[in-house]
Amino acid sequence: MTEEMKIKVGFGDTFRELTVRIPDGDIPPYQPGDPLDLVGTSEIRLDAVAKVTGTAEFTYDRQPKGLIYGKILRSPHANANIRSIDVSQARALEGVRAVLTTPDVFEDSTARYAGAEIAAVAADSEAIADEAVRMIEVDYEVLPFCVTIDDSMAEGAPKVGRGNQENVDRVSPRARRRRRGGEINADAEASMVARMKEREKTVDKLFAKSKGVVEGEFRTQVQTHAPLETHGVVCDWDGKNLLCYGSSQATFGFKRELGSSRGPVGAKDVRVICEYVGGGFGSKFSAGREGVLGAMLAREAGKPVRLMLDRKEEQTSAGNRPDSLQKLKMGVAADGTILAYRVRSWGTPGTGTGGAGAHNDGIYNLGEIDKVEYGVRTNCGGARAHRAPGWPQGVFALEQMMDMGAQSVGLDPIEFRKRNDDHPIRTAQYDIAREKIGWDRPRVRGGAATVCRGVGVASNLWFSAGGRGTQVMVRVHKDGQVEVRNGAQDIGTGTRTVMGMVAAEELGLPLARVRTFIGDTRDPQGPGSGGSTTIGSITPAARLAGYVAKQRLLEVVAARKNWPIDQLGLRRGHVTRSGDPVLSFDAACQLMEEDVIEVLESRKANYAGFSDTNAGVQCAEVEVDTETGEVRVIKVVAVADAGKLINPMLAESQVRGGVSQGVGYALLERRIMDSQEGRMVNPNLEMYKLLGAVDCPEIEVVLFDVYNGKSNTSVMGLGEPPIVATAAAVANAVSDAIGVRITEIPITPRKVLEALGRKGSDTGKKGE
Amino acid sequence: MPRKKLESPAEGVSRRTFLKGAGIAAAAVGVSGVDVAGETPSSQESLIVGPGPVPFQLTINGDTRSIEVPPSTTLLDLLRDKLGMTGSKRVCDRGSCGACTVMFDGKIVDSCSILAIDAVGREITTIEGIGTPENLSALQQAFIECDALQCGFCTPAMVVSCTALLNDNAKPTRDEIRAGISGNLCRCGTYINVFEAVEKTSGQGGRDD
Ligand code: FES
Ligand code: FES
Repeated sequence: MTEEMKIKVGFGDTFRELTVRIPDGDIPPYQPGDPLDLVGTSEIRLDAVAKVTGTAEFTYDRQPKGLIYGKILRSPHANANIRSIDVSQARALEGVRAVLTTPDVFEDSTARYAGAEIAAVAADSEAIADEAVRMIEVDYEVLPFCVTIDDSMAEGAPKVGRGNQENVDRVSPRARRRRRGGEINADAEASMVARMKEREKTVDKLFAKSKGVVEGEFRTQVQTHAPLETHGVVCDWDGKNLLCYGSSQATFGFKRELGSSRGPVGAKDVRVICEYVGGGFGSKFSAGREGVLGAMLAREAGKPVRLMLDRKEEQTSAGNRPDSLQKLKMGVAADGTILAYRVRSWGTPGTGTGGAGAHNDGIYNLGEIDKVEYGVRTNCGGARAHRAPGWPQGVFALEQMMDMGAQSVGLDPIEFRKRNDDHPIRTAQYDIAREKIGWDRPRVRGGAATVCRGVGVASNLWFSAGGRGTQVMVRVHKDGQVEVRNGAQDIGTGTRTVMGMVAAEELGLPLARVRTFIGDTRDPQGPGSGGSTTIGSITPAARLAGYVAKQRLLEVVAARKNWPIDQLGLRRGHVTRSGDPVLSFDAACQLMEEDVIEVLESRKANYAGFSDTNAGVQCAEVEVDTETGEVRVIKVVAVADAGKLINPMLAESQVRGGVSQGVGYALLERRIMDSQEGRMVNPNLEMYKLLGAVDCPEIEVVLFDVYNGKSNTSVMGLGEPPIVATAAAVANAVSDAIGVRITEIPITPRKVLEALGRKGSDTGKKGE
Repeated sequence: MPRKKLESPAEGVSRRTFLKGAGIAAAAVGVSGVDVAGETPSSQESLIVGPGPVPFQLTINGDTRSIEVPPSTTLLDLLRDKLGMTGSKRVCDRGSCGACTVMFDGKIVDSCSILAIDAVGREITTIEGIGTPENLSALQQAFIECDALQCGFCTPAMVVSCTALLNDNAKPTRDEIRAGISGNLCRCGTYINVFEAVEKTSGQGGRDD
């Protein structure tokens, strides 16, 4: 039975009452004014000591006894069919313990990008494995290829896919097919096309009525995840059971994948351990072919195998954020209301077409929207979810359109946004960002100056309240020890720490008194670190488990001491009676008859809360040298909402991290493909540039503490939202500084100089 | 350059345990051209070693260790795979990320780009020699308090670089800190927290919450 109750929701000093249905067995969310000792404080990370001393054991660091080394042979061709593979020489090489091929393992005889897996070996040393890989002979039927969306979309382009796969697929609105991957249902398609035409007309009429109509074409690059720890596994078999140390952001996902009877590994029992992972950013949900090959090599060799990708493999084959080409049009009424918006966009997620979408029609009220989106196949390494998939690229384009729309009706960019935004939290964030960046300060812009400054704004939103499917175990031992357990991973966001904090809060203990366990699938089920939902999924279960454990302990105390239970609580290491400490926590545990109180609680369903989405606004200030074309981001102000803040310091770190990646995306990062050879030109970290310490701007983070009321901890995850707005804010700031818009990232010095050149030759013409 | 002709490594497996072709020349130069024993090549017949394991001694974190590895082994692989010191990370394996940073006589180097045998005669300091969980350095403590770590993969090397920086310059400015760790990449974006940790250690502020 659900319980109906009134809770307070809101932020700052404005709260309102909301009637919610608390699911059976759950406890109500934190409320403003609740006496909390841990939640809301900047506790240091529980794993910080291990990380600063180098004792944290990552997958790469695991060295089970008898370890041997796996290597993958990859296709040098961008598009080929495998006719045959001769592994006999490799197999005969001394020290080689196992050899596998892709056609055998995955029943796939195609190599559709340069870097596709062809075969794998395991050998006593990395050097022998390398040698063996070189001895494998492959007969390829080499086919023509396309590695850029322009090549692939061109008339008469070589076919990337096989069978009836076209190079360009409409992905939204999606064509109806008779079955998955099958023929398009012609009738359904005809009526779909009619509806699309209708929409086009409606939007055209609104454009005709608009005071300002602006259009733009935007491009974003392919960005690789580039986690410092590459993808891979260390696998060890015990009979039919597999122990897999995996660099993972979904321990249970790996377990399912490697244990599935339909998969090539099909292990009877799989245990995945991932205590530490050196970055994931969306690319480590699946064990991938490397994980499958690692597991199978270990089985065939009868020895533990380490198969970790090298940097080149990581950059070519372990995922990326698709690029985009976005053609946008916006119609604005004289009062600044957006009336209509049109989107035509393309992106390439590699050899498939799923996941190409750019979220360029969200955040604001954009009036009537006419959006058609296409996925483009290219012979490139496949996309994987990447920190806020689809959003940074979409928002990069959308937010420039917002600036252009504001200009078309003579409004200040921030005022224009406010006019088209009704988010209950974001509307309170704009003015803070404006003030902190010094939006209205005079700046040297354009003109004759060689160094100009400008400011730009952009927004983000996210949906990270989390959800069901997670369980947390709390154990209170008779000797006073407390364990908090969940089998999911902490990818550096601080999951381990916040899980411990909410449980310790219930038990009235300092954080150091609980032992937290993370990253072992023998512990209760946890979520994949996706959609920034980990904290929102784990903490409510942890809090509930802590609460139930507390009640059970207090029942023991009440019975043994003959104290009325409704007077008892736990706080600051003691049992309290009517608020006064009466017994130490340890002494209370001593009263237990059994050795341990063990509680396993599930994450309950979300309630109706204050807001289903969390909001953010960022402002960037840049300096542009108009002689060299160099852009320097001076400062980013990031106003962020994470629901109820559990640990402000860790939340701030997430925001700084997202902004840092966003600055790199705006200015530096880019996968470069060689159209002649079909290979990635910069599969490394010297030509694929990540933001470094010298270029890292000042980042001022303003955190909103929002009693969101979606779950008992009211928290919203913050891993992804901060990266959404940054590149857009930087691009808008650059155009503010130099008076001409750059519509393609990364904003390299060359693009700046070209834009300035365009501006020079455009003098006298109407601006953008 | 080596005067004795190197045997072709094509005959036997044991030779293949050696790195690729280029590694052979590099190793030979490392031994013959650089002062392993403090002597220059002109004063001595060039010495060819390898490709099989060769014995030598290294001083790591103050301890003298007897090593026997092929001369093609990088210092990083020796530390990680042979000595079990996994605090130094292999990320790019070619000197562009700094995750493998160790100190050579107090100066930072990328251990992935140095042959172990070239470290003979040097004082090598790794993250394991800077502090332990029971005995943290002041800088490590500041890293913890300033949350200068997220996933933690770049963190040990960041600590090494910042330790070297502070040894050289007790009160670095923010720009000097930026320059000091400019060779250390952090994908998670902990740079500002690292600046704050260094400033906290050098008594110049740090975080205030
Ligand atoms: S691993 Fe040595 S510099 Fe990257
Ligand atoms: S903390 Fe993850 S790479 Fe630096």
